[in-house]
Amino acid sequence: MKIPLVEKVGKQNDEIAALNRVDLRAAGVRCLNLMGSPGCGKTLLLEKTLEALRGELSIGVITGDLTTTRDAERIARHTKAVVQINTGGGCHLEAHQVRQGIGKLDLPSLDLLVIENVGNLICPVGFDLGQDVKVGMFSVPEGEDKPAKHPQLLLQAGLLLLSKVDLMPHVPFRLDVFLADLAAIRGDLPVLALSATTGQGLGAWLAWLRAFAAGPAI
Amino acid sequence: MHEMSIVSALVEQVRAFVPVDATLLSVRIEVGALEHLDDDVLRSLFGLLTEGTPLAGAGLAVERVPLRVRCAACGTEHAPPDPAALFCPSCGVARPEILAGSGVTLSSIEVDVPEGGE
Ligand SMILES: Nc1nc2c(ncn2[C@@H]2O[C@H](COP(=O)(O)OP(=O)(O)OP(=O)(O)O)[C@@H](O)[C@H]2O)c(=O)[nH]1
Ligand SMILES: [Mg+2]
Ligand SMILES: [Zn+2]
Repeated sequence: MKIPLVEKVGKQNDEIAALNRVDLRAAGVRCLNLMGSPGCGKTLLLEKTLEALRGELSIGVITGDLTTTRDAERIARHTKAVVQINTGGGCHLEAHQVRQGIGKLDLPSLDLLVIENVGNLICPVGFDLGQDVKVGMFSVPEGEDKPAKHPQLLLQAGLLLLSKVDLMPHVPFRLDVFLADLAAIRGDLPVLALSATTGQGLGAWLAWLRAFAAGPAI
Repeated sequence: MHEMSIVSALVEQVRAFVPVDATLLSVRIEVGALEHLDDDVLRSLFGLLTEGTPLAGAGLAVERVPLRVRCAACGTEHAPPDPAALFCPSCGVARPEILAGSGVTLSSIEVDVPEGGE
């Protein structure tokens, strides 16, 4: 006997993500899910961001990594509101892990929660965590072909960061190709080019974050 | 390698649909064209995760669902063959809203229910 069904595989994750979203909204916290390759510069950008917005925005960070607590140690130099999630072998964060992380944070004291996903351009994309926006990050040394190779991430993102632009003079990177490929997938996706080491482009990123944090907690 | 998460979720979801006393023969899923999932890995993980359980022995059929989008600018629906070239054939911009071709859906199961029994 054949039983026809229409059920999204992974709906358990979506249900928990919905609970996260409810809790975050009730506490007035805006939530961003940052996704990019291993080493594209997620943690360093967060460190610089926490420094720049100190005293202005209260930012919590949940950082996902396979095994180490190194990212959380780096973030902890800038804020107490940090939770490290070790995924063991897991190549992405799931909503239940973020739910545990949220439980360890004092949500009402936060304006913004940034989730640094496990460094990976593929696996994190399909897992809703309860965020208000997904932000993708590609770094210059990864090459200009990343948009063309990762349409799924771009289709879900509300913002794309191109990091490590200070390396442009040192590595072959064709910005025109990067932008043309991106325009062929998402002509409407805002892109911010920045460098966490030199500070180039950080102003625009901070302005984006301020506007995002001030956005509706629906 | 997020196949493991997907298949664990799938097995749990399938279990809820199999009537008591029935034998699960096969499961069919639809995988969107945008997903980076390997069919062979999905099938072997499904075998592995059901081994030694009442679901053991069932096959997993994987069907690919082509990408289908609606242009957010003009509303035209189209089926782009290349997920990295999503320009609208009517107005030329790429502002696609995904209608199909993303995610994984459990689309059917086949079970053998024993006759009578009482
Ligand atoms: N030149 C340059 N190097 C950078 C920049 N941002 C980060 N880096 C370096 O890139 C390396 C990785 O940076 P992280 O911030 O740890 O990257 P990540 O994305 O958090 O890495 P994972 O969490 O392991 O995926 C470090 O050596 C950083 O110092 C940048 O803007 N320019
Ligand atoms: Mg990091
Ligand atoms: Zn159009």
